[in-house]
Amino acid sequence: MLIEVFGPGCAKCQTMEKHAHQAVEQSGGIHQVVKVSDYAVMAARGIMSTPALALDGQVKFQGRVVGSDEILALIKG
Amino acid sequence: MALPIWILLYAVSHPASEWIAFHLFRLTPKTHLGEAVAFFFFDVPKVLLLLTLVVFIVTFLQTFVSPTKVRDALSKRRAGLGNALASLFGIMTPFCSCSAVPLFIGFLRAGVPLGVTFSFLVAAPMINEVALGMLFAMFGWKIALIYAGTGVAIAFISGLLLGRLKMERHLEDWVQDALKAPSLGEIEEERPTLSNRLSLALQGVKDIVGKVWPYILAGISVGALIHGFVPEAFMAGLLGKEHWYSVPLAVLVGIPLYSNAAGVMPIVEALLGKGAALGSTLAFMMAVIGLSLPETIILRRVMRPRLIATFVGVVALGILLVGYLFNAIL
Repeated sequence: MLIEVFGPGCAKCQTMEKHAHQAVEQSGGIHQVVKVSDYAVMAARGIMSTPALALDGQVKFQGRVVGSDEILALIKG
Repeated sequence: MALPIWILLYAVSHPASEWIAFHLFRLTPKTHLGEAVAFFFFDVPKVLLLLTLVVFIVTFLQTFVSPTKVRDALSKRRAGLGNALASLFGIMTPFCSCSAVPLFIGFLRAGVPLGVTFSFLVAAPMINEVALGMLFAMFGWKIALIYAGTGVAIAFISGLLLGRLKMERHLEDWVQDALKAPSLGEIEEERPTLSNRLSLALQGVKDIVGKVWPYILAGISVGALIHGFVPEAFMAGLLGKEHWYSVPLAVLVGIPLYSNAAGVMPIVEALLGKGAALGSTLAFMMAVIGLSLPETIILRRVMRPRLIATFVGVVALGILLVGYLFNAIL
């Protein structure tokens, strides 16, 4: 699966990216984590508050740091 | 369950602070050092306890508002009503300065006029919901209402004014392109349950109190020094209402001071206690919270220098007017 973390690079966004990596590790599967910091892309995706997280192109969370457990639950679907 | 513990801690904090200052440290009451130390030990638990409660309530309420909902309510609104709504929404919307750019573009893309967007961008940081709650808890509803009311007025008028100036062409080129770019999909809103909301509120307390306590200790230390050592005549002279320069001075000192909303409260408390005029103190607080350097730098990414200068200028002017107004009528 493709996990995108959106954020300009503030502390919250970095925490979120770390959580995404942790979740991937815990899941034991092969998933790709990508950090997106381009504002124009965020705008086109409809993101208005950061950090945000998308799974396979679908934005699932925005505006708060999500724990690795929640991301893991999302990956396992 | 946590509430009785909170009440008990709050009740013993005053006697405990006097005991620490005057018995444990053997300082004499009514001396500079004694009063400063007592202020410090009284304020640390008081401010932290109030902050915990205020953040919990505010974060819980904020789970009901989101930038997306505000955007939908504001899109296609005309100037005037749109500015008024944007200013009011600005009070409660969760807002962090690193979200300023995506929010700004998101609003404009959805057809929110530039002036209305500005009203929101002024109101959101200036009327800080935690500051509002802290003012209410520490100084009563009148000062809290004055703060919120004048903040809304400044946001309303600056947005109206900036909208009239037709500054759209002063947005950076990449923003103009991003506004025209096709959408790559809409987002479904999360639907939290009550227990989700409560745990988000608890998380908010952990995050915010965990992050701002150094600012609070710094603020209380400054407040304690003012309380213990600065003579009343000096402060009343510098920030008293009879001097024309007291308000601009307060704003000039406040802008570069980047502090957290909660960190300013003890300073406000000490300033008011020492006879500084309410208008000057309010202006100082708004300059610290509402006009922050980091946010200005972030917004520079989307706005050309002319627009950003106009933005800061209009808001600073609004704060000055509020300061003079309250010094004149109170």
